[in-house]
Amino acid sequence: MLIQVLNGLVYGGLLYILAVGLVLIFGLRRVVNFAHGSLFMIGSYVGFSLASQGYFLGGLLVAIATLAVMGALLDWIVFRPLQREYQIVTVLVTFGILLVLQDLAQSIWGKDFLTLQPPSYLAGSVMLAGSEFPVYRLMVIGVAVVVAVGLTIWLKVSRIGLYVRASSVDPLTVALQGVNTNRVSAIVVAIGAALAGLSGTVAAPLMALSPSMGGYILIDSFIVVVVGGLGSFSGAFFAALLIGEIHNFGVVYVPWAASMIPFVLMVGILIWRPSGLAGVRA
Amino acid sequence: MTKPLRRPAHFRRTFGGPSVFGTMPAVVGVALLLGLALPWLVNSALFFTLMTQAVISAILALSVGFLIRQNGVVSFGQAAFYGLAGYTIAIALKFQAMPVEAAILLALAGPTAFAFLLGLVIVRSPGIAFSMLTLAVGQAFYEVLYKWRELANGDDGLAIRLPRQLFGLAIGTFQRPSSMFVVSWIALVAATALLNWIANGHFGRLTVAIRENEERARFVGYGTIVPRAGIYAVSAFLAALAGVLIALYNGFVSPDLLHWNLSGSALIMAIIGGARVLWGPALGALVFFFFKNVASNYTEHWPAMIGLSLIAVTVLLPTGLGGALAAMAERRSRWARG
Repeated sequence: MLIQVLNGLVYGGLLYILAVGLVLIFGLRRVVNFAHGSLFMIGSYVGFSLASQGYFLGGLLVAIATLAVMGALLDWIVFRPLQREYQIVTVLVTFGILLVLQDLAQSIWGKDFLTLQPPSYLAGSVMLAGSEFPVYRLMVIGVAVVVAVGLTIWLKVSRIGLYVRASSVDPLTVALQGVNTNRVSAIVVAIGAALAGLSGTVAAPLMALSPSMGGYILIDSFIVVVVGGLGSFSGAFFAALLIGEIHNFGVVYVPWAASMIPFVLMVGILIWRPSGLAGVRA
Repeated sequence: MTKPLRRPAHFRRTFGGPSVFGTMPAVVGVALLLGLALPWLVNSALFFTLMTQAVISAILALSVGFLIRQNGVVSFGQAAFYGLAGYTIAIALKFQAMPVEAAILLALAGPTAFAFLLGLVIVRSPGIAFSMLTLAVGQAFYEVLYKWRELANGDDGLAIRLPRQLFGLAIGTFQRPSSMFVVSWIALVAATALLNWIANGHFGRLTVAIRENEERARFVGYGTIVPRAGIYAVSAFLAALAGVLIALYNGFVSPDLLHWNLSGSALIMAIIGGARVLWGPALGALVFFFFKNVASNYTEHWPAMIGLSLIAVTVLLPTGLGGALAAMAERRSRWARG
């Protein structure tokens, strides 16, 4: 039982890291990045390329750095020029980017599934309440906790964090106060993308790598973001834990309906609260 | 057909002008004749294989485009209704629960009713959340059918046990490309006419008003949730119609029919063709298929090319090919009038 709860935390943690990147970008830019799953996928492949040579930590850092650069470029080339357009224009453009990135990954790393072993110092397992649990999975939970704590402190303490929190509540008033979100957006989008790179590399030993691997987790993280309330950091946190646990218990006990449960839960929550758990009514 | 309505000038400016809508019965007649004549004019099996697929996809693209046009929202999960319709027929015939004609009616009514109920919940979400939710809904159904081996034979898909005759026609009519092309073409023309009728009626104009400013529509005294859910149901109906056609044509259904790749392709067709004019998405589907067919001879990077085309059209040509053509036609007619 404890093992199942922990497994749910592993998936919930990965979802949280991905979803909170979406929330960050949405908070400042008011757009949803449909290419976020592909950023996760690219992060996975970049991490894989080094980790499979024995440099897991190096792969992790390079993936984070690569994705941070891609995020800054994304803000500079896509989000900034399109900020006066309808949101849906940016959604469609990021959807186009998703297709391009998938094709790119396929030409570099091929169509076949790739698998990665966890690094030797994180291999093996520990005894927890009478059953074995892989050390690597514990580490994943740890990374998610570190991200959650670090991000919360950053959002509460730093000035950029203040801008992000403020503009995720009311972008108009923030602009009226003379805050130029353009000046900080490249950093914020870079952090959001870097988090996708982080979760991609961390997830690589847990799943099979393929150019379309970002699809499933993107959809689950969308459910997290919508259920938590678009633009809410705490909402995303609790929704990620909830969806992670429910997904995991579903897979174990009712495999044929596992994918339906988050969906039914989502519909239920939206009937109860149309703007999500922590959402404010528009 | 209903008699053409007179519309105020601002309406014409927004939606492409009287040249397209005012002469609807004539346009429908010409379109039908063209489609019926094509099998006599062209004698190429490959051409009709391609055309039949393109026309069925055009109906799916129309359903996406209609949602954009009337509700101003983008669906990333339209293939769910397309696939569910196909599976409804396959499963109903697998258990011999009903005659095939009844199964087809159920395949059209089921997804439509489901979309209406789902719409009552999800149209409340702001546009961007709506897109994310449609994607999630579509993928949820995909995975259920992918994994549920007892009911739907999992990822291997199901062959449909079709009878010899359907609506009094030999089943071969629906499975030979040249004749199925005619059937699909009639369905496409009928679907476009239906959408035109809805869009120009009270319901269509009400939903455009809601799209433009939901708050004002509410102040005027209209409920806004039910009409928007209604549009979602109409678009699901069209997707289901396309699903019925593809299921009959292939005689086989698989989870791929519901995959979001397909929803994405339908959306791309709708955007390339342009959703502002009703027939734009159908044009987009035809262009998509021929472009794809040509490109497959030269490059393996079709997904990247289509991604780049999507970006280019979205940014540079927001009204799509259809919108550009309609604008050109309007300029010409204005020029002709002097």
